[in-house]
Amino acid sequence: MQPMGNDKPTNVPGRPVSPFRAAPQSSTPFISSGPVVGLEASGASRATTPFLSSGPGTILGASGTPQTTVPFLSSGPITGTQMSNYRSPPPPPVRYNGPSSPPPPTSYPAQDATTYQQTQAPRFPPPGQPVTPFRGPVGSSGPSPSGSFRPQPQIPSVPMGPPPQTATQMSSRSNMPPPLSESSFSATRPPPQPSLQGYSYGLPRGNMPPASAEPQLPAPRSVSQPPLQQAFPSSHVPPVHASYHAHQGGVVPPPPPPIGGPLGYNSREQIQYPNIGPPIGGNLQGLVEEFQSLSVGSAPGSLDHGVDVKSLPRPLSGDEEPIKILETFPLNCHPRFLRLTTYAIPSSQSLLARWHLPLGAVVHPLAEVPDGEEVPIVNFGPAGIIRCRRCRTYVNPYVTFTDAGRKWRCNICSLLNDVSGEYYCALDASGRRCDVDQRPELSKGSVEFVAPTEYMVRPPMPPLYFFLIDVSVSAVRSGFLEVVATTIKSCLDELPGFPRTQIGFLTFDSTLHFHNLKSSLTQPQMLVVADLDDIFLPLPDDLLVNLSDSRHVVDALLDSLPSMFQDNANIESALGPALKAALMVMSQLGGKLLVFQSTLPSIGVGRLRLRGDDLRIYGTDKEHTLRIPDDPFYKQMAAEFTKHQIAVDVYAFSEKYTDIASLGSLAKYTGGQVYHYPSFQAPTHQEKLRYELARDLTRETAWESVMRVRCGKGVRFTTYHGHFMLRSTDLLALPAVDCDKAFAMQLSLEDTLMTTQTVYFQVALLYTSSSGERRIRVHTAAAHVVADLGEMYRQADTGAIILLLSRLAVENTLSHKLEDARQLMQLKLVKSLKEYRNLHVVQHRLGGRLIFPESLRFLPLYVLSLCKSLALRGGYADVPLDERCAAGYNMMILPIRRMLKLLYPGLYRIDENLIKGPEEFNESSKQLALSAQSLDPRALYIYDDGFSFIVWLGRMLSPDIVNNTLGVDLSGFPDLSRLALLEHDNEYSRKLMRIIRRLREKDPSCFQLCRVVRQGEQPREGSLLLSNLFEDQAAGTSGYVDWILQIYRQLQSS
Amino acid sequence: MVFVWITAFFLLIALIVLIIYQLMCLADLEFDYINPYDSASRINKVVLPEFALQGVLCLLFLLSGHWLLFLFCAPIVYYNVRLYQQQQHLVDVTEIFNQLDTEKKRRLFKLISVVVILFLSLFWMIWSMLEDDE
Repeated sequence: MQPMGNDKPTNVPGRPVSPFRAAPQSSTPFISSGPVVGLEASGASRATTPFLSSGPGTILGASGTPQTTVPFLSSGPITGTQMSNYRSPPPPPVRYNGPSSPPPPTSYPAQDATTYQQTQAPRFPPPGQPVTPFRGPVGSSGPSPSGSFRPQPQIPSVPMGPPPQTATQMSSRSNMPPPLSESSFSATRPPPQPSLQGYSYGLPRGNMPPASAEPQLPAPRSVSQPPLQQAFPSSHVPPVHASYHAHQGGVVPPPPPPIGGPLGYNSREQIQYPNIGPPIGGNLQGLVEEFQSLSVGSAPGSLDHGVDVKSLPRPLSGDEEPIKILETFPLNCHPRFLRLTTYAIPSSQSLLARWHLPLGAVVHPLAEVPDGEEVPIVNFGPAGIIRCRRCRTYVNPYVTFTDAGRKWRCNICSLLNDVSGEYYCALDASGRRCDVDQRPELSKGSVEFVAPTEYMVRPPMPPLYFFLIDVSVSAVRSGFLEVVATTIKSCLDELPGFPRTQIGFLTFDSTLHFHNLKSSLTQPQMLVVADLDDIFLPLPDDLLVNLSDSRHVVDALLDSLPSMFQDNANIESALGPALKAALMVMSQLGGKLLVFQSTLPSIGVGRLRLRGDDLRIYGTDKEHTLRIPDDPFYKQMAAEFTKHQIAVDVYAFSEKYTDIASLGSLAKYTGGQVYHYPSFQAPTHQEKLRYELARDLTRETAWESVMRVRCGKGVRFTTYHGHFMLRSTDLLALPAVDCDKAFAMQLSLEDTLMTTQTVYFQVALLYTSSSGERRIRVHTAAAHVVADLGEMYRQADTGAIILLLSRLAVENTLSHKLEDARQLMQLKLVKSLKEYRNLHVVQHRLGGRLIFPESLRFLPLYVLSLCKSLALRGGYADVPLDERCAAGYNMMILPIRRMLKLLYPGLYRIDENLIKGPEEFNESSKQLALSAQSLDPRALYIYDDGFSFIVWLGRMLSPDIVNNTLGVDLSGFPDLSRLALLEHDNEYSRKLMRIIRRLREKDPSCFQLCRVVRQGEQPREGSLLLSNLFEDQAAGTSGYVDWILQIYRQLQSS
Repeated sequence: MVFVWITAFFLLIALIVLIIYQLMCLADLEFDYINPYDSASRINKVVLPEFALQGVLCLLFLLSGHWLLFLFCAPIVYYNVRLYQQQQHLVDVTEIFNQLDTEKKRRLFKLISVVVILFLSLFWMIWSMLEDDE
């Protein structure tokens, strides 16, 4: 950070040099109400006191009520004149924001003057103004500096660009909360609370004080340093924006940006929300333009594209949860459970039509919570669960109690309900119930109710695991049978729900082998059914037994399973009949069915044919048929399974085509998951299989569940995306659900105009816990309704948007060509950026700049990498069909954090960590841009996409490190694809393994298999790493820079 | 000739009944009166009979020499055959909610065209009877 260097020079000399500023003023008088004023005003405030920053409020005139403080009045005229002076094109905010690199050598200004003249004349003062200190920073700081160097291409642009962190710094600052509102509100505010819960206990609803970001603010204010730079000294406070909302009282959407609308807008806003006073904050926010921009203007004929690669925004810190919403609505559930694509719901259909991105929510009902934040469990006992009579909403923190506590008003349908005698509690003076603090359901956004018998159609089922294991020759040969058997055996003690857990096994090749596990037996009995056309159960029961009773038989079976089929030469696989048999066994109870499949199902019902090797079909209209189930049998089975509360997890291990598209539909409609291990070989893959199977078996699972998302009047959830089956228009049937699955849904507006100011969402998941208790997990959240498109953009959540987009894209590939799916996404991106541009184009000169909202700064990159992701990339030759389908199924369940990790994997340079002392490895600070340019041949890198690690060894990496970490001598050219990275007895290896373990701990939902690849080792390097460096240009796809240019051109052209 | 008209009339009535039945199942599903399993199985039970009736009707018009009515029928039959060939004639229980709108639209169109054919054939029948009388 370099707070002063750039700001002061810009402002201080700015004032006296009136002639040059006045000149352009005449051309753009409109800007006077824009942020330009703010810019200068802030300069004034810096010079005097922070109060002065209210200046622009009055200058905005129509909207601002003058704050009659003396310093303000005195500064008024000053700002006024400045305003007139300053109307000239504002230096784009980025200049202010990104001055993290030192001012350039003095030789630059001269060059700048000429270049700006040529290319970006409208935005810059005429070259006659020798304001050298002003120009210096201009050239050096913004993310768009390269434009200025264009005529001198020989000057290396690298040292000029700010480091990649600029983007984040920008972001935090462009959302500057106004110092004034800070000070004016601080008097009335209670002392800063340490945590969010604190608020919900202590304060009246509806007037929420701001939360955590606040304590940092007063200090810089008192110093009266340039508030822009100091208030948020670090880029590690991204959700600054929210604290600003919080100052407005928690009920009101933040005032509109001065940029976004003409004056009339501001005044209307005031009428609408009279309690917030003049929207000073809004004006102050205009200190900096609220959008981010990239300069992409290029002079005609110049070769340079004018984009500074280093300044492109990159999500190097991973997912940013929109926790700022918790400051506006402290009673909301945590964003890890429910995230909206934008926290500003459009008030009208016409507004929604202009928001070209998906509007919806991402629900992750059983997300893992850190220790200490567990969802509280509430048992209402005899009173029963309190719900609204009409809309069946569960009682939540947003309901209001009236009539001395005898009635409560539902926040979703606003029906007045009676409070039952058991639940009655008097209200205090402010209308709050006195017992709010003792009742988590009235003070927390996420609670879990213990459901009484009315919520059961049958006694709660026990956790049930049924294993359907392929024992044909390929299964034995690849070794997965043995790994599976030993893993299941090792997990038996940890299966949830002891002592009620039930277990059963069925093995199959061309016949079905049932296993009698009756507890009175000493050895399991195998019963073979060879009639595949007419499946029957050889035993009425004992195929499914209580684990604790029959433990010794189960152990014996698992011990003997690998050896039993050792010499099996059967190559057929009767999966269809086996599924039918499993359904017959499990239909009474439901549970979880784990299918282990190693070949293409070849006999009996549901046999599949080899497809996908016909090259001619690609690129035609029939291409998508390869990605949908071949045989309707699998869909029908999936429907039957869901009906009987059975979830199916598919484990597929095959070197050859297994038709994941068909098999996966079993998981898709039953809330299951597809695990794909292409060309499984026990020595290399067993660790991954072991870990993932163990996690599947032992993670906390919610059984026989249904989920419904209710929302307030005027909005409705229309389409749902994920692994589940719809039982009615809005009821998701989930036979089993766990912490690794998230669901996405899209909203639509029912009315043409929404009248309410806030809309509420409530996720309710009714399930049976492994302990046999029926529970309802309820997450409640609120969001504002706005009439302003700019506000929707400001409150957008890139993570949720990209998750919804990716699911839409994957579903699109099931009915269209890959190319169409990619183009559709690009179109959405372009349309939304275009709409955003139209929002600002009047007040700003945007020539040569690509502008985008700060909240969506990563969206173009994510869309690009989505287009290059395994499920959507290229055509026939780029990804094997099975892997593509498996990736598609995977993307349909991923929660946001893992999805973003997959779309922008981490790339870390770690050789220094290996050489240096025991310094801790810190991922976030070391993540590199995902481009081959980041790779240094002298170094060692780890690439982590959440599903696998790739260790990349540079060509010139010291052989010492290589040999020690790998444990083999690389000069002998060993086959690295077979090499397992193990811990060896030396310091390098130990450190490397420590780093890998650390990275794995960050994402426990999957085992990241570690693969080693050397630089130049083709084709492995290309397929493993280079094709996944999403910022690079690969065959037929554009790199990040080209992509930005492409988007920019489309914005300009259409 | 009268036999042809009466057969056509009853075929058309039967077709209308079958299509309305399917539409009712879909509407019930939408308003959550029945579950998707029942709805899909009820609809799928009558899809093939409907197709068969449509085919018979078309053939009847062709054989009895009512070219114009045949031309009205033929597109529907062609459409049915294509659906059958693509294996899309049955509703898919797993995706029924996503396809609800298209399925309803599809059947409404069919209903409208069948009703139009009904009126046309009634008109034709009366016309030809009046001509016979003369």
